[in-house]
Amino acid sequence: MAEESFLADDFIRQLMSVGEVDLLVGIPSYNNASTIAQALHSVEESLRQNFVRERAVILNVDGGSGDETRQVFEQTSERREAGHKGLTSLRTIHRISCMYDRSPSQGVALRSVVAAADLLRARACAVISPATTNLTPSWIANLLRPVYREGLDFVAPLYVRSRFQGLLARDLLYPMSRAVFGQRIRELYSDEWGFSGRLASQCLEQDVWREEAVRTRPEAWMGILAGSTGLKCGQYFLGPKTVSPSATGPDIVDAIRQTVGNFFWCMETNQPYWMSRSNSPSVSTFGPEHELSADGIPPSQEKMFELFRSGVNELEPILASILTPDTHAQIKAIALSDRAKFRFAAELWVKTLYEFAASYHRAVLNRDHLVQALVPLYRGRVYSFLLEHANSSAEAMEAQSEILCQEFERQKPYLLERWTAKS
Amino acid sequence: MQDSPTPPSIVSQPQPESSALLLQDENLWYKDAVMYQLHVRTFCDSNADGIGDFRGLTSKLDYLQELGINAIWVLPFYPSPLRDDGYDIADYTSVHPSYGTLQDFKDFLAAAHNRRIRVITEMVVNHTSDQHPWFQEARSSRENPKRDWYVWSDTDNRYQGVRIIFVDTEMSNWSWDPISKSYYWHRFFNHQPDLNYDNPAVREAMWKVMKFWLDIGVDGFRLDAVPYLIERDGTSCENLPETHEIIRDFRKRIDLAYPGKMLLAEANQWPADVRSYFGNGDEFHMAFHFPLMPRMFMAVKLEDRKPIIEILEQTPQIPENCQWCIFLRNHDELTLEMVTDIERDYMYDEYAVDKAMRINLGIRRRLAPMMENDRRRVELLTGMLLSMPGTPIIYYGDEIGMGDNVYLGDRNGVRTPMQWNGGWNAGFSAADPERLYSPLISNPVYGYQAINVDSQRRSAHSLLSWTKSVIQTRNAFRVFSRGSIEFLNPSNHRVLAYVRRLGEEKVLIVNNLSSSAQAVELNLQMYKRHIPIEMFGRNLFPRIGDLPYLLTLGPYQFYWFRLRRI
Amino acid sequence: MKEVIIQGLRQAYSNLVHMFAEFLPRLLVMLVIVLVGLVVAYLLKTTLRAVLHVTRLDRLSEEAGASRFLRMAALPSMTELLSRSLFWVTWCGFILIGISVLGVAGLQEQISRLFLLLPAIFVAILILFVGLVTANFLSRAALLAAVNAGYPSPKLLSWSIRFVIWALAVSMALEQVGVARQTVIAAFSIVFGAFMFGLAIAFGLGGKDLARDFLERSLGEKKREKYEEPQPL
Repeated sequence: MAEESFLADDFIRQLMSVGEVDLLVGIPSYNNASTIAQALHSVEESLRQNFVRERAVILNVDGGSGDETRQVFEQTSERREAGHKGLTSLRTIHRISCMYDRSPSQGVALRSVVAAADLLRARACAVISPATTNLTPSWIANLLRPVYREGLDFVAPLYVRSRFQGLLARDLLYPMSRAVFGQRIRELYSDEWGFSGRLASQCLEQDVWREEAVRTRPEAWMGILAGSTGLKCGQYFLGPKTVSPSATGPDIVDAIRQTVGNFFWCMETNQPYWMSRSNSPSVSTFGPEHELSADGIPPSQEKMFELFRSGVNELEPILASILTPDTHAQIKAIALSDRAKFRFAAELWVKTLYEFAASYHRAVLNRDHLVQALVPLYRGRVYSFLLEHANSSAEAMEAQSEILCQEFERQKPYLLERWTAKS
Repeated sequence: MQDSPTPPSIVSQPQPESSALLLQDENLWYKDAVMYQLHVRTFCDSNADGIGDFRGLTSKLDYLQELGINAIWVLPFYPSPLRDDGYDIADYTSVHPSYGTLQDFKDFLAAAHNRRIRVITEMVVNHTSDQHPWFQEARSSRENPKRDWYVWSDTDNRYQGVRIIFVDTEMSNWSWDPISKSYYWHRFFNHQPDLNYDNPAVREAMWKVMKFWLDIGVDGFRLDAVPYLIERDGTSCENLPETHEIIRDFRKRIDLAYPGKMLLAEANQWPADVRSYFGNGDEFHMAFHFPLMPRMFMAVKLEDRKPIIEILEQTPQIPENCQWCIFLRNHDELTLEMVTDIERDYMYDEYAVDKAMRINLGIRRRLAPMMENDRRRVELLTGMLLSMPGTPIIYYGDEIGMGDNVYLGDRNGVRTPMQWNGGWNAGFSAADPERLYSPLISNPVYGYQAINVDSQRRSAHSLLSWTKSVIQTRNAFRVFSRGSIEFLNPSNHRVLAYVRRLGEEKVLIVNNLSSSAQAVELNLQMYKRHIPIEMFGRNLFPRIGDLPYLLTLGPYQFYWFRLRRI
Repeated sequence: MKEVIIQGLRQAYSNLVHMFAEFLPRLLVMLVIVLVGLVVAYLLKTTLRAVLHVTRLDRLSEEAGASRFLRMAALPSMTELLSRSLFWVTWCGFILIGISVLGVAGLQEQISRLFLLLPAIFVAILILFVGLVTANFLSRAALLAAVNAGYPSPKLLSWSIRFVIWALAVSMALEQVGVARQTVIAAFSIVFGAFMFGLAIAFGLGGKDLARDFLERSLGEKKREKYEEPQPL
């Protein structure tokens, strides 16, 4: 019996009309009616300025918006320049849109994007978020150009962060992915990225689209897949990023469930690859590799420490089943320490994360619950970081970040030991 | 995107069937014409001097009649130093001796009219040769009565900022006259001083010239370089209101004394700017649609109809008694003045990689070489030319796929002798080959041995035979010449589809601009229950129903369908 | 008289032999049935074990937390437990069939009653198992959610959820096997109702400030003092 296809007939018909393209820009959307027109204009402007002769298509994949996002996308007219007698681009810049009727999911949207890229034989693709309000034409060009002209397969963005922003990425995801997968990609979890048609085809062949990790954070899976299959990765500096007020991103619990859950799942499915890696060479980076702005006031910390302490206490049985007795004891010890002198040392933090990863692998308990159990510990770590760096400069913070990365790399043998242990 | 393609856009309204007076319809003959452009020098040499002449041209009128064209546009044949291929006229009311005599011309005209072929000649109104007696007199002294027939200045500072048209050869629009010790104005070559149309005497003189030829019996004039007739400080010296007054005056006189004669404007401008040259139907009868032409070439290379649609969407409506003139190539370079910088760069990179092919913001190549001798593309472009609204002009030699020679200098590479057969001098002339006014194209691909009229006449499947049949089909249906156009804009951008309509007559044209096979769904709801009949094979296609009409086309293939409701 | 006794003894002996002669075939049939049952039970156990290995039931059980309880109860793994249960149930069934073939008076009725009860017992066991797994999963989920959201008394909430589900599962299981149905239903209702009542009082009294706060915010008179955490991504 023929298998059901996830591509609707109408979508195929639209792809048929477009034909082969050189560039594809995907815009997943859900209730972005107020911002999608601006995103669309930025993309069209970028294509007109930077890829004049290339065949291009802009694809909107909508998750069933209730605010006519899709209609706005389809009906927004192309901007015409005042000069040149109202003539626009050299070529038709196609716009096609499709909708899926399951719950909104980045992974489902990406599947349509990579399917389109594969069918249209696109050489370079990019995914952008319509919620990013300061999206400029240069962003899109910076994500496409390294793929289209330099031959990269995956391009992650680099943003300017304020000192106290994005700590999950800086203190956990980046150093851990650098040590485990050997990829020095700072923003593996992002809303905008570029990739090649080759990578898109590879992704399409994978049978992982129903996995929760891929549904929520497909970009990281894509980046790790690229690295693990020998494709070339890079990153491009885009500048500061602002999002619309209605789209400030997930809270800490959801963020950890999505990102750390995704990361552990990637570890689970790429074992032969990361277990044999021992170094982390740098990737092609366009622009400054990192930039922390000096602004940013340290957020309120007291509550964070309380949550850490209560978490360690209330989740004791759960933590006992995840961590080794020694690590658990150390964490309980620091939970009892004085608030003002609290330190969650890098060494302990790394050890904790690696033990969590190993316990995830052995499924000592429900995996989602296991990841959630990390939240109070993360809060403790952030509290410690804020205490330590409340008055630090951006450069000092960066230096500390590098030390943390090296600690992750140093303890990788421990990860391997825990991973392969029976209990 | 939407299921159904974007709604059709109507670019022009249908012309009413002219049923009242045969005379009135006869006066609009130019709307139904298929024109053939040639230079008498290039066509056929009857006296073995190596230069084509009117007697030779007359001898080839049967060929032109057989081809199916019904109007000839003859490039300048007046006495001239020939420094601009005859556009530098030294005597307006005679024939260059190389081409024959005035009587020869009259004989040619009569023979053409006998075959129901009309003749349009050039009227270079903007300037003369510096060898013209008028200029010789004007420059002889500042007090000469004809001094004011040209535009003089003591300095070259007047009319600052006006663009130079022949950028490859001219540094300024002013040149110094050593005889009268002053500057004279010229928008083209420095040996082509501009006439001063602010002087009524000039207008009268030009009217007399036109009258001369109209009395002989020519059917119309192509007025060369009309935008530049008038100069005013602080302007671009192009398209000024006074220019239109002059044209209206000429038109009025022609309509009074010579009804049915036609004026064709050469105004290389954006469509909106050319519109003014039609006036309210009281200026030019026809004008070239310059911006459309490079976009047709662009569309085929891009495999995207966008350039064509965009330019036609901004083409304004014109008066009922007027008509656009459309063409693919002509005696000049394929002009890229009316395109954006990006488009020009693209055209250069795709069609004129060798810099020898470029001249004056244009490309000096013929149709077939530009299409890389791909017969399908040549047919596609010719089919589009003959099916789009406007009077089509076929440049001599393009009907057999003649090649070019970009190394001949200026635009001479596209003005080589007509290739009649594979024999001596391609059948063009009995003279010694060295005596020919221009070398023949002789390479193995485009040379006269391979590309000539005689060999193509022998085959029913040659490009010549094909061109004949498609002209014949076009001539059989007035909808092509007088009908409206409505673009269908299917979602497949590689397909250019439109419907021509005149009364109950409807023709659907579908063009595949791509080098690969295409499928297209057309929204033909308005023509539901009609039966498409393919016009060349006369085969029936499935009736149009409720669903979008699916067609598949091979690379560069096109269809012409009559839509009949029975 | 001696002859009467001898005659009687001969008759009794003859009856006994006759009884044995009638009983022995049935005994043989019973033994065959039991033997066949043993083989069938073994085959079923092996098959089920293989199937459960493929479906990774042990992993699921581990994740759900049921395996921990099994270990605490010194029981083997879920796969093993189910396979062995199937073995014993099947063999017991064959044994019972065998016994019924013996034709012992009164026994058949009891055996058939036992057979009728078997499905209910099986369902009850299943209900308990599902209840166990669900209680474990949901109570842990609640605990984690409450801890991460900073709610007070997360353990109380977790334990409450576990208790409620357990109570429900046990009641349903007992009702399924028909043990003191009325008593169980009544007891469950009383205990559950009391529990809920207690919770209501506790929250009502203890949470009146919270309730006031909620109402005030809902009616827009008071701004929410939200705890702002640094943006993680």
